[in-house]
Amino acid sequence: MRPALRGGVSLRRAQGWGKTRAGIGRGAARLGVPRVGPDGACALRRRLGCWGRGRGRCSFCASLSPGAYPDIAQGAGTMKIWTSEHVFDHPWETVTTAAMQKYPNPMNPSVVGVDVLDRHIDPSGKLHSHRLLSTEWGLPSIVKSLIGAARTKTYVQEHSVVDPVEKTMELKSTNISFTNMVSVDERLIYKPHPQDPEKTVLTQEAIITVKGVSLSSYLEGLMASTISSNASKGREAMEWVIHKLNAEIEELTASARGTIRTPMAAAAFAEK
Amino acid sequence: MTSECAVVAAATTVAMNSVGEACTDMKREYDQCFNRWFAEKFLKGDSSGDPCTDLFKRYQQCVQKAIKEKEIPIEGLEFMGHGKEKPENSS
Repeated sequence: MRPALRGGVSLRRAQGWGKTRAGIGRGAARLGVPRVGPDGACALRRRLGCWGRGRGRCSFCASLSPGAYPDIAQGAGTMKIWTSEHVFDHPWETVTTAAMQKYPNPMNPSVVGVDVLDRHIDPSGKLHSHRLLSTEWGLPSIVKSLIGAARTKTYVQEHSVVDPVEKTMELKSTNISFTNMVSVDERLIYKPHPQDPEKTVLTQEAIITVKGVSLSSYLEGLMASTISSNASKGREAMEWVIHKLNAEIEELTASARGTIRTPMAAAAFAEK
Repeated sequence: MTSECAVVAAATTVAMNSVGEACTDMKREYDQCFNRWFAEKFLKGDSSGDPCTDLFKRYQQCVQKAIKEKEIPIEGLEFMGHGKEKPENSS
């Protein structure tokens, strides 16, 4: 029996990705070791399938080198990896500000609570935030009455690091509910576009681990398309928040210039 | 009247709730303070003097209580000071 890998980067820690809670197991034989096939393409990618949709690209091999994720080869339950890239037509500062205020938005109505657990600036000047997201999935009331209304919320823990000098924002999130069944770990990185500073590039990764039970390929495909559609909802949500922020700024600027009369001034005028 | 309502509606944005019902107002106050500081100071390179620390402390105490009450399994985080990582053998 192969011993548990040591020195792998931890999934649950702020610094990286690594050993999952399911331990080492049946997935190992199934996933195999990532290797380059005869045509030079990543053999693991061919086996898992490419989940990239639309403007994103499935870049499993491009973005994840086997050495960075040693436990993928070992497998732990069933693992799926999904990556995508997206470009926002807005500068990095706008996108980062919007990301900090992402909820509420109409595309993610199930997120019902956001709390900051910790926030501090580290010695190198980066802002670390640990947040808790509560989501409510709209279970039917009969289910709620059976399991208790207080237990219908699921929670996600999020750690973000904003570096204003290098202009990067990295966000990692992991579910803390149903961890005995599934782990969904997401990583998002926002950076200015290398060619155009008025644009921002978002790189996203998701690693899903299902403990013990091996899902049929239909369910795995379903999860893949859910993640993909959630990711595009997330991008839509960002565009919505950015649009809202810009509209607020415009309004404030216009009112400062006196081109819009405030309701009070208008009422005062009307009275005269 | 309708234009007044429109301006007011635009000004009062729908805000997020807190995990603890009692903490929502504190959270919103803190969020407003933080969002302003973040966009106007921090991103422009001025990370001196976070004006929101008092608001944050009160909000934090409320949240910690709510989390304990609801038994939410937050991991790898100590609330006092900087977050500390969990030791490897307990993960």
